[in-house]
Amino acid sequence: MTDQAAGVDALQRIALKIFLDDEAVLDPRDVIPIFHRWIQTSAVDGLLIDLADYTHMTSGPSVLLAAHEGHYAIEQSGGRLGIQYARRADQKGALAERLHAAARTLVKAGRLLEADTSLGGQVRFRGDQLECLANDRLSAPNRRETLEAFRPAVESLLATLGPDDDWSLTQEADERERFGVLATSGSGAGLDLLEARLG
Amino acid sequence: MSWKETLGDRIPAELGREIDTYENQIALKRQGKIDDKVFAETRLRRGAYGQRYDNGQRNDGNGVKLLPFPSDGQTKGPDTVWDAPGMMRIKIPFGGLTADQMDTLADLSEEYSDGVCHITTRQDIQLHFVHIDDTPALMRRLAAVGITTREACGNTVRNVTACPLSGVCRDETFDVTPYAEASMRFLLGHPDTQDFGRKFKVAFSGCREHACGLVNMHDFGGIAVTREVDGVTERGFEAYVGGGLGAVPHEAKIFDPFLKEEDVLPTLQAMSRVFARLGEKRNRARARIKFLVQQLGIDEFRRLVREEREALEHDDRWSAFIERVNTPTDAPLLEGAGSDEAAGSDAFQAWRRTNVYPQRQPGYAVATITLPLGDLSGWQLRRLATLARRFVGDAVRATVEQNIVFRWVREADLPELHQGLEALGLAQPGAGTIADITACPGTDTCKLGIASSRGLAAELERRLADQLSSLDESVRNLRIKVSGCFNSCGQHHISDLGFYGVSRHVGGNVVPHFQVLLGGKWVENAGSYGLAIGAIPAKSIPEVVRRITDRFVEERNGDESFYDFTSRIGKRALRDMLQDLTAVPDKLVNADFYRDWGDPREFGIGDMGVGECAGEVVSLTEFDLAGAESQVFEAQLALEENDPARADKLAYGAMLQAAKGLIKTEFIDISDDPSQIVTEFRTRFYDTEVFFDKYAGGKFANYLFRRHEQAGPTAERDVARQLIEEAQLFLEATHACQARLAAIPPPPTAAAGPSLGGVQ
Ligand code: SF4
Repeated sequence: MTDQAAGVDALQRIALKIFLDDEAVLDPRDVIPIFHRWIQTSAVDGLLIDLADYTHMTSGPSVLLAAHEGHYAIEQSGGRLGIQYARRADQKGALAERLHAAARTLVKAGRLLEADTSLGGQVRFRGDQLECLANDRLSAPNRRETLEAFRPAVESLLATLGPDDDWSLTQEADERERFGVLATSGSGAGLDLLEARLG
Repeated sequence: MSWKETLGDRIPAELGREIDTYENQIALKRQGKIDDKVFAETRLRRGAYGQRYDNGQRNDGNGVKLLPFPSDGQTKGPDTVWDAPGMMRIKIPFGGLTADQMDTLADLSEEYSDGVCHITTRQDIQLHFVHIDDTPALMRRLAAVGITTREACGNTVRNVTACPLSGVCRDETFDVTPYAEASMRFLLGHPDTQDFGRKFKVAFSGCREHACGLVNMHDFGGIAVTREVDGVTERGFEAYVGGGLGAVPHEAKIFDPFLKEEDVLPTLQAMSRVFARLGEKRNRARARIKFLVQQLGIDEFRRLVREEREALEHDDRWSAFIERVNTPTDAPLLEGAGSDEAAGSDAFQAWRRTNVYPQRQPGYAVATITLPLGDLSGWQLRRLATLARRFVGDAVRATVEQNIVFRWVREADLPELHQGLEALGLAQPGAGTIADITACPGTDTCKLGIASSRGLAAELERRLADQLSSLDESVRNLRIKVSGCFNSCGQHHISDLGFYGVSRHVGGNVVPHFQVLLGGKWVENAGSYGLAIGAIPAKSIPEVVRRITDRFVEERNGDESFYDFTSRIGKRALRDMLQDLTAVPDKLVNADFYRDWGDPREFGIGDMGVGECAGEVVSLTEFDLAGAESQVFEAQLALEENDPARADKLAYGAMLQAAKGLIKTEFIDISDDPSQIVTEFRTRFYDTEVFFDKYAGGKFANYLFRRHEQAGPTAERDVARQLIEEAQLFLEATHACQARLAAIPPPPTAAAGPSLGGVQ
């Protein structure tokens, strides 16, 4: 295994994001009471700590639900609104397994938002795009070789999410940014199906 | 690979060693070989701070819940759970940032924090939700770009601040940056600065008139001045000492009207030695240098410092930097070029009007990047670094108003810079206006926050930004500053309209309020401190702003300043016009009043199952508290009328009345005799620690005891002013104690005669 591959294999801080189908239907401020409720009812995975309101910002997290194992956020980097799960604490298993676990956590949270009656049933996340970020420049610098080392794990996840889909990977072009890929397919399943596929 | 190996000798050797030591201390603490208190001070001295809920508990709106961190009993300080996220304060001397440093800060915010960088009111940068285990790597990456977090917190010399316009300002006497930098380097880790009872803050300003340096509110502050001696211009500083906001604000006293430039560092050293030797160590509440100056008197303090100065062994560093003070701190990247002032879009013109300051060097300007609540994402900061490289190189500074400035922008480049900022969502106009609000972290992340300063500030910013272009010019240039509690990290004392969070017990519930402060001055280096005129429910504060600013527009005399206007109208009239806003509607009518801004949880804990008897007594207590509030207000008016003795008497009376109100929860027949009130209060509430604040302990009670022991009213304005502040805090503590008492069942001895027992 090359140093690069070993680094990527050790990667723990993974952030996954799915995007809103129609951004106009979600005012991030409406998510604040929902995240508070999630804390009260332990609705999503992890030790839920607190909420940070960044709705005054135009980039980065807009509403953040901080948890010990990883943060959930209504996220707007790159000008695209979506929900992100950013893993912080170490997980067991190979990288592909860790990616699957993070995706399960993310999709579960996304489904809960879609189903939340306070949002009027309008919110839908796209199943045809997934952003994977390596939140660790030491293990996974944003280089071409990192993509090669990362590819098998992410392709394994994509094969689970859309086994019949033709996924393409686009790497973040700016070397100073975190290593990240945007996975895109021609079709996209709903989150209910994705959740079922992730098991 | 680790960051230590990867960065190698890019980490300066000394910083590397310090971080290695810190990492070892973390390991030792994990093995249980370091005491909690010692470790807490160790990490604080390296900038690793606590954060709200790090005691492993949180009220989720339904009650206090445990946060079961997997820490296995491991702590990183008293009552501070190891795995609970903390805050990292990163010291940025005089706010000066290079593009590489901005890149690194952006990376760190993403990898170790929550993707957000926060600029503080002292030109620091803070990252939240940081795990203690990540802090050594974080520090190494900062060290590799020349930043140390050493002494960012703890009982040390904190960040040395300076005007962000130094060197390019049209009004400055000279560039104070080299002095700020030399002071920072000299004092950092200096053996004479390691044994303070509390922190020590230093600031430099280039002129008297403007606010940028805020000298008046610092432990040590220097205003640049010059004088002619035998035809030669000498540089020096009008030096101040003992200023500070915090719970009990003090305006700084003049230490030396002309402290020669070569005397700045030795004087700071001598002052540090006197502070370390004579300053209070045990009682944190009185350990800042302002209390030492007050206790000794400025003349004696000055004498001691000068004596100490004479005895110091010479140090070449005292003056070595002086040969470089005429070298510009930062140089233009590109040759200056003017621009057509009328050109550009409406959005650009609006931004230019408020966010661009023409430098004294022709063809150049300073551009302010307005950051809402001082926040920007890592993604924005990295791209801002790219813009810096393109337009100004490393000429970037963070400001005490929680913004960032680019210096040395060619005027001809302003439209392009504006476009670049628009692409980052950072082209918001309104810098330095009423819509550019300063707020401390408050209840969002601070352990001491009472009400949501950021929630209120965000709400006010939203409303005011929409109206900015239509606001009257006189209102547009006012400043609003908000703190989450009396500690004044949001600098509420030195704004036109200041607010700090308090709570009030209303009908069995706790309701978030803000004290409204008027009479503060941002200009003249924080030339005057505002005083509280009353507490208003948090949800009515936008209406407070509207009413006061409308009245200012309607009744302003010519170009009268807001400060002069409020002084002329008088606090009584201003308070009267807000009187109806103090009302809290019944919860069934408007439950919103029982929640804080931006937080749908019910404020505080709500089980108010108070028995009938206690209910009646509580209402008597509230009656006394209301009377005490009136007395504090009257005391302020007396001070305004230049009657310190009356102000003192009223403030003392307010504390007695509040204490009496509290005593009535147990002993209804308490008399008006001050000695009996103090004795009963001490026995029932102080000795039992029932009155104690979770963080401040018995400090507020001591305000009453100290005044009670004083022979008679003071004739000194400063002393009376301080007593008013103390009375206000005593009142807040009484409100808090009353709320706590109402939340527990009444004692069996309620309303009985004098007794030695406490509430429980
Ligand atoms: S003013 Fe109070 S709430 Fe705000 S940061 Fe300071 S201590 Fe915390």
